[in-house]
Amino acid sequence: MRRAVGVVYLNLHSFLFFHVLSLCLGYSPPGKPKLTSCRSPEKETFTCWWEPGSDGGLPTTYALYYRKENSDAVYECPDYHTAGENSCFFNKNDTSIWVNYNITVVATNALGSNFSDPVDVDVVYIVQPHTPENVTVTVMEDKDGPFLRVSWEPPRKADTRSGWITLIYELRVKLEGEEEWEEHRAGQQKMFNIFSLRSGGMYLVQVRCKPDHGFWSEWSSTTYIKVPDYFPRETSVWILIAVFSAFIFFILTWILNLKSNSVKHCLLPPVPGPKIKGFDKQLLKNGRSEEVFSALVVPGFPPTTSSDCEDLLVEYLEVYTPEEQELILEEGKDLQEGCLKSKGSPSDSDSGRGSCDSHTLLMEKCGEGEGKEEKHQERAQKGKRQQKHQTGWEEGDVSHTREDVLSPDMSEGRVKTWPSVFSPLPQYSSRPLDHQGSLETARQLCLSDSLFPPPSTSSHLSYNAKEGLALGSGQQEFYLGKKQTHPSNPQSQPRWHLQAHSDFNISSMDRKQAASGLQLPGFRSTEYVEVQRVNQEDMVILQPLFSSSCQRDGHLQIGQGEDYSKVKGVDSGNMLLLQREVEVKREEEDGDRYSCDIQDRVTESCYTTSTAASSQVTGKPTSCAGTAMPVQEEMVLAANGYVDAATMLL
Amino acid sequence: MFSLPVWVAVLALVYLDFPIRVGTAAICAHGQECHAPSLADLFDRVIQQSSRVHGISSELHSDYEQYFFPSKNHIGKRKCHTYSILTPADKENAQRLGREELTEVILRLLGAWGDPLSQLHRSMTQDQNQDFNHYSSNKALEMSDMVHELRSGVTKVAEKMKLLGVISNALGYMSSPESLAPSSVSSSYERGDFNSIDHHDLLYCFRRDSNKVKNYLRILKCTTLPELDC
Repeated sequence: MRRAVGVVYLNLHSFLFFHVLSLCLGYSPPGKPKLTSCRSPEKETFTCWWEPGSDGGLPTTYALYYRKENSDAVYECPDYHTAGENSCFFNKNDTSIWVNYNITVVATNALGSNFSDPVDVDVVYIVQPHTPENVTVTVMEDKDGPFLRVSWEPPRKADTRSGWITLIYELRVKLEGEEEWEEHRAGQQKMFNIFSLRSGGMYLVQVRCKPDHGFWSEWSSTTYIKVPDYFPRETSVWILIAVFSAFIFFILTWILNLKSNSVKHCLLPPVPGPKIKGFDKQLLKNGRSEEVFSALVVPGFPPTTSSDCEDLLVEYLEVYTPEEQELILEEGKDLQEGCLKSKGSPSDSDSGRGSCDSHTLLMEKCGEGEGKEEKHQERAQKGKRQQKHQTGWEEGDVSHTREDVLSPDMSEGRVKTWPSVFSPLPQYSSRPLDHQGSLETARQLCLSDSLFPPPSTSSHLSYNAKEGLALGSGQQEFYLGKKQTHPSNPQSQPRWHLQAHSDFNISSMDRKQAASGLQLPGFRSTEYVEVQRVNQEDMVILQPLFSSSCQRDGHLQIGQGEDYSKVKGVDSGNMLLLQREVEVKREEEDGDRYSCDIQDRVTESCYTTSTAASSQVTGKPTSCAGTAMPVQEEMVLAANGYVDAATMLL
Repeated sequence: MFSLPVWVAVLALVYLDFPIRVGTAAICAHGQECHAPSLADLFDRVIQQSSRVHGISSELHSDYEQYFFPSKNHIGKRKCHTYSILTPADKENAQRLGREELTEVILRLLGAWGDPLSQLHRSMTQDQNQDFNHYSSNKALEMSDMVHELRSGVTKVAEKMKLLGVISNALGYMSSPESLAPSSVSSSYERGDFNSIDHHDLLYCFRRDSNKVKNYLRILKCTTLPELDC
C-alpha cells in the first residue's frame, strides 16, 4: 500500500516537477488554434485550414475533430496532408452536402492541449471554385469594326454539366498601361464580346467564376491580345469636318488676299511719307550725303533781298501779246507758285503779278526777246528753257523774259534770240566747284539757246542742255525731268524749276555737249547779256542788254559791240567762258515787249561773275577781262533783277 | 354623358388591365394554335422561381442572424422538420436517384414547407419587434406564396415529363401532397407559439431546403435536357 502511494506520490511529484520545471524554463501549453477557413472547390470535397497558436516552446500536434449534424459521433480529420500544413482535407466520401459540420481543432503539446472554437460548416455555402480555364480571346470583325470574343471553360473539377454546380462568370479587360479594369458580368454563358476597341491597342483579359451562392474564384491568368489597326468610323466624320473647315479657311484666305490692300489700309494705315521739298529718294539711295543735303536746300529760303529779286524776277515772265498774255498768266501763276518769296524790291512797285512785274513788263514791251538775264539757277538750266522755248515758241511763248535773259522771245514759230552779253564768269570760290561749273554751263547753254532759237535746234539744244545739265547730279535730272512734264508751260515751268532749284549741280558738265549745244548751226542771233547780279548762291544773273534800239516792233537792234552771248564753255575754275562774237543779230518776235529801260541799264558787254569776294577776270580769250570789276560794282541787283549799277554780289 | 377624356381613360384602363388578368390565356384564345410552353421553358421558369425563393430565404435568415444571434454557435441541436425526407446528400447519390425520385423529393420538400411558411408569416406579424418583423413578415409572405407557385410549377413539369415519356407514370405521391409532411413537424407547428429562436431555426431549415430544391431541379433539367446551359 505504501508502495502504491509512494509510486503515485512519485508520479505526482515528477509530473509536478516537470511542469514546474517547464514553467520555469518558459514552456507553456499550446496556444489556442484557430480555424481560418474551409473551402470546397467543387461542392464535393472540402478543406479546412487552421492557424496554430503559440506552441509554448514545445512540439505541438494538432488534431481536427468534427461532428456531423444530428449525430454525436466525433470523427477526426481523415487527411492532414493532402491540403498542406495545418489543414484537413475531406474527400468525397467524407463530405456530405447540406449537412452541418461542427469542426474543432486541438493543439496538443507536452504541457497540455488547447481546443479551438468550433466552427459550423455547411459545404454548400463554402464553395469557391478554381479559376476558369482555357481563356481564349480572338479578334473578330464587324461592320462597325473589330471586337474581342472571349471564351473560356469552367474549372475542370466543377461539374456543371450535370447541373450539380452552377457557375456565373465575370471577366475584366484593360488596355496595357492602364490602371483601371473594366469588369463585365457574363452570367452563366461561357463567351463574351467586347466592343469599342482602340485601334492597335494591347488588351489584357481575365475571367473568374462563382457559384450562385459562394465565393469568387481567383482571376485567371492574363491573356494578351493585340487589336489590329483600323480606321474608326468616328474619325472619318472628324476628317470630313476638318476638310470642310480647311476649305472654308482657304476661301477666306483667298478673299483676304484679294482685298489685302483695303484690309491693309484698314488695319495698318499707311504712314505718310515725307513731303519735303527737295527730298529725293533716289538721291538718298544713290547719292552722297552732301548731294542729298544740298538738294534739300531750297532756293530762296530763307528769303533774302537778293532772292526776292530773283523771285520777283521769276515773276516777270509776262508777255503782253494776246497769246502771250495767256502764257504770261500761266507763267505768272507758275511764277507765283514757284516764287518762294516775292518781296517787293524797292524798285518794284507792281502789285498785280508780283513785284517783279514792272521790270518784266518793261522788258516785254520791248518786244524783243530781251529778257533780263537772271542768273537764277533754274534759269541757268538752259535745257529747261529750251524746253520752254520749244513749246513756248510754238505757242508764242513770251515770258521767259527777264529771268531768262537768255531766253529768246518767241512769237509763233519764231524764235527770238537774245543778244547775248557775255562776260567771263567769275569764279565762285565759295562754292563748290561743281556748282559753279554747272551753273556756268547752264548759262552757257542758256545763252546758246538764245543764239540758236529754232525749235529744232532749240529742241536739240534743250536736249543737249538737258543732257549736259543732267550730267552729274541726279538731282538735276530730276528737275529736268520734271520740267519736261509740263507741256503747257514749258517755259515757265522750267524756269520755275530752275528758280526753285537751289542748287544747280552740274558737277561734271560735258563741255563738249555744251559746246555742241552752243555750236548748233542755224539761226544765229546774238543777244547782249549783262550780268545783272549775282545772287546769294553765287549765281550770275544775266540780263539781256538792250541797245537803245529797243523797239516796239520787236526788232531789237542789238547794240554794236561784242557779242558775248555765246558760252564757250565752263572752265575748271567754274567760270563761264563766253565767246565773243562779232555779229550780233537778233531776231525778235512780234509782240515782244521789252522794257526799253533795260537798255538804259545796259552796261558794258563784258562782265564777269565771280564768286564771293574774288572777282576774277580770267584771262581767257573769250572772256572779257578787265572791265569786270568795275562793271560788277556797277551792277546792282535790284529786286526785280535788273542790274543797273552793277554791283556784284559776291 | 361622360366627356371624351374620361372615356379615353376608361378605355385605357380596360385595355391595360386586360392583358394582366388574362395572361397567357389571351394568346390561346379563340381557338388559335396555342403553343404550350416547352419543357425547357418550364424548367427555366421553375428554376428561376426556386432561385428566387432561395434568395429570399437567405436574406431573411441573414437578417435574423444579424439582429438576434450574433454568435453563430446556436445551430448545434436544431432539427428541421423535413429531416425525415431523405434527400441525396451528394452528387453521386443525387444522380443515382433518377428523375422520378428526384422529382418526388422536390415535390415533397415543397409540400412540407407550405404550411410552416404561412405560419411563420403569421407569427412574424404578431411579433413584438415591429421594426424588424414588419419588414421580414412581408418577405415571409412572399416566400410562402412563391413556394406554393413553385410547387404547382414543378407539378406541371412532372406532368410534362410524363407526357413526353421522360418519366414513367409510376408516381403516386403527387396525388396527395399533404401526406408528405412529417407528422412531427405539423404537430409542432400546430402549437402556434413561435418565438424568435424558432423563427431563426425555421429560416435556417428552409434556406437549406430551398437550396436543395434548386439544386435538384437543376440536376433534373440537365439530366433530362442536357444541351441547355449545363
